[in-house]
Amino acid sequence: MKKKGKLLIIDDSDVIVEMLFQFLKNKNYELASASNGLDGIKLFNSDPEGFDLVITDIVMPNISGVGVISILKAKRPDLPIIAITGFGEHPESLAAEARADVVLEKPIDLTTLDQHISDLVKKNPAYQPEDKQP
Amino acid sequence: MHTPLIGVSPEIVKIRELIDHVADTGLNVVITGETGVGKEVVSRVLYQQSPRNNKPFVKVNCAALPDGLLESELYGYEQGAFTGAEKKKKGKFELAHKGVLFLDEIGDMSLPLQAKLLHVLQSGEFAPLGSEREIKADTWVIAATNHDLAEKIADKSFRADLYYRLNIIKIHIPPLRERPEDILELINYYTDEFISQFSNKNIKKLDKSIIDAFLSYPWPGNVRQLQNILKRVLILGNGKEIIEELKRSECDFPESKSRDIRKPFKSNAPLNATFDFDEETADLSSFSLKDIRKKALDKIERDAILYILDKTNWNRSKASKILQISYKTLLYKITELNIDQPSSSLED
Repeated sequence: MKKKGKLLIIDDSDVIVEMLFQFLKNKNYELASASNGLDGIKLFNSDPEGFDLVITDIVMPNISGVGVISILKAKRPDLPIIAITGFGEHPESLAAEARADVVLEKPIDLTTLDQHISDLVKKNPAYQPEDKQP
Repeated sequence: MHTPLIGVSPEIVKIRELIDHVADTGLNVVITGETGVGKEVVSRVLYQQSPRNNKPFVKVNCAALPDGLLESELYGYEQGAFTGAEKKKKGKFELAHKGVLFLDEIGDMSLPLQAKLLHVLQSGEFAPLGSEREIKADTWVIAATNHDLAEKIADKSFRADLYYRLNIIKIHIPPLRERPEDILELINYYTDEFISQFSNKNIKKLDKSIIDAFLSYPWPGNVRQLQNILKRVLILGNGKEIIEELKRSECDFPESKSRDIRKPFKSNAPLNATFDFDEETADLSSFSLKDIRKKALDKIERDAILYILDKTNWNRSKASKILQISYKTLLYKITELNIDQPSSSLED
């Protein structure tokens, strides 16, 4: 079965990464993950046009999610990004200022997340499902 | 002048890599680490690698000035703004326009000034004292502290919203004792530097016994202490005497967990070693009981977390439950307190 798109997950909690990985794998997405902002950016740079969407945590070591969003959006303004903030943290406005397309608060409702991913990936002009590619 | 970041340890290599990725972004940075680790050096490397390197680099030490003075230093004032303001003065924010403003010791800034800094970072505008005119400033703010800002937020002495706004990029520089492979690099670099500075004097490089003593010393005052002692040895040539001094203080270095802290200190060595107090550059005006308390707490916390991680075979979920802290807090503490997973538990 053709993949629905390639996603990059950046989060310093291996529990969250594993949960998202399992859930989105079952939804037929191709996935890559990193446990901090710097590794996430390096992974993205290895295939800048290959990713259809990024999901990033906000509070992380070295480069925060806000930094990740600013850096990735400067490289690819059309890249859809979903920011996830921890309960009781206050960087939502920063994530929005940094132009995250969607900001979700933990605990994440997976159905809502799936809906956002699906909408953003389809809306993105850069995205072409594999079966429509020449 | 070019300021290099010296070191071959994985930590320093990682910091260089991080700098390469963020120096051209202009995103706010917080640099953390003990006194003397090289926070200003990192800020200068960021500046040098940025497109702003032909604009000013302006440094302000937030702990060195009383509140009112710090405010007028940062934002400037109009003529007649207060008694003694005889003529208008530009603030550091304005002087650093298009360049970098390095705010050292940000953790010591008062709450009212934190509120004003937050406003400037949010709006990019500020008003000098006595002025109603808002000035726009395109200033890249790099802040540094030896405090644990998360802890200061918990005790309400640092604003969480300012923390999140500043902490977009976080660079932590570990103490020199945790990256001993950098010591030889630092010795070589600063020896060459001092030799070129004092070219008219007959300065010889260090002999092997002194280098060995340097390599095994824990350097509680970090790179700054190493620089001072190296300079003394090179200029005064009293290497043997210094080695004896280092050995004496090393004997007192509290590696044993059973050290009786109730026992009165006979010398300053325990202070030197544990709490970053550098007799060489002793400046009692910056001696702070608050800092010492924090460092002692950090050490105890680190030992407790390591003990539980060891008991749970590094199962972080279990460890966080035992410690009665959230999983996220545990991960944060592991990074913050530089707790490394032993390779034996990685293999399991």
